[in-house]
Amino acid sequence: MIEILSNVALATVQDLGRLGSLRFGVGTAGAMDDLALAAGNLLLGNEAGAAGIEIPVFPFKLRFTADCAFALTGADCGARLDATPLLPWWSHQARAGQVLTLGLPQGAQRASRALLCLPGGVDVPEVLGSRSTQLRGAFGGHEGRALRKGDVLRAAEAQRACRTGFGLVPPAFALPQEIGGLVALRVLPGAEYLGFEAASRDAFWAGEWRITAQSDRYGYRLAGEALQPVAPMELRSHGIVPGVIQVPHSGQPIIQMRDAQPSGGYPKFGTVIEADLWRLGQAPIGSRIRFIETHWDEAVAALEQKEAWLAKVARMVALRRSAPMGAAA
Amino acid sequence: MTKAPHELREIAGWMAATDIGLLELRTPGATVRLGRRGEEVVTLDHSQRADAQLDGPTVAPDRNAAGLHPDTVTAGSVGVFLHAHPCATVPFVRAGIEVLAGQTLGLLRIGVLLLPVVASRAGTVAALRAGDGATVGYGAPLVELHPF
Repeated sequence: MIEILSNVALATVQDLGRLGSLRFGVGTAGAMDDLALAAGNLLLGNEAGAAGIEIPVFPFKLRFTADCAFALTGADCGARLDATPLLPWWSHQARAGQVLTLGLPQGAQRASRALLCLPGGVDVPEVLGSRSTQLRGAFGGHEGRALRKGDVLRAAEAQRACRTGFGLVPPAFALPQEIGGLVALRVLPGAEYLGFEAASRDAFWAGEWRITAQSDRYGYRLAGEALQPVAPMELRSHGIVPGVIQVPHSGQPIIQMRDAQPSGGYPKFGTVIEADLWRLGQAPIGSRIRFIETHWDEAVAALEQKEAWLAKVARMVALRRSAPMGAAA
Repeated sequence: MTKAPHELREIAGWMAATDIGLLELRTPGATVRLGRRGEEVVTLDHSQRADAQLDGPTVAPDRNAAGLHPDTVTAGSVGVFLHAHPCATVPFVRAGIEVLAGQTLGLLRIGVLLLPVVASRAGTVAALRAGDGATVGYGAPLVELHPF
């Protein structure tokens, strides 16, 4: 069991998302960095989609009230177990009473969200096929809300002995994608793409976009050269998914994220491909990003590449977890 | 230093996850060759021949035969030795610093996996015997420790 000691809001229980409920008007939610959540779960021998805790605000503290294995992935935030520094993207063992502290994200590959996984996943009820927190609807996760001081959470398999003490090469190194040192995201042109001026379309691909402070799990508001429509576009509200890039009248795009509402009426310039949403989920506020034009086949191939990385992780971790206990590196 | 079957299975598993086509493990007593056959890694040769009959060594020999200092930490697997975590710029240790038993001295990267290389005892780091990013074989000397 763990007890939250920090009073910072916005840490939430998330799995890979509430898929298949958009038709009921229920958004997907789910981890902003699905790759980090899946990898953290695999490190502990969990199903890749078990629920973990997404932590976007630091410092963050919790106490283990019983012995428990755990995995930390996502942002490298100089974690400590009591006074002992912990490696990022690593599985660890906590003893009852130990306090886990996550500090500010650090390192050259500065990310913005840490993921904490526990054996068997965080034990919260499944609602509409998922354990993700649906903040807008106030259901799912832990009581349908962000975690706060005093909350006590249980690991579904708290008693399971876990082989710990090893880690992974973070996927930002294994699957890098940058232009001029900036995180780059692949985008499929959207339904209204050709409704924008050619110069705006060129500027979108060529320019740098800053992630503004008006960015959260619902969506990222970007700042850059305003995108001009050829003629004003008025659309009826229609279904949208995480990754959709909308352009409101200001011309400054908004990228819908995991907690996006399932419908909207702004023109759609494009969609960040599903395989790259984890990169965006980790891009800090104030950082700049670039876009790369892509097409359907490449987007599917990117998804397969991501799955292949996870399959490799699952295979290597299974070997490590089954190795004789005496075998050290 | 005969490798137990479960250790060979583990090494074959590591190998299957890489693009290594042939892996030769040689000890004074025996030589084992693991090779790739399609998706499978199989034992090609398990001979008791003397080392002299074989070509140049590809794997570090037994630590006594090699005259290694008894407190040299060696690689427990084939992999890439890393002085620092990929996220960090500062190495875990450098020559001259004191370490505790069990302290992480470096990492061994095997495909996507990172395994810790830990101090077998408390002591002073005398030297890093393998370079940062060096591909090392089973039993290769990594870090030389001197007891206090």
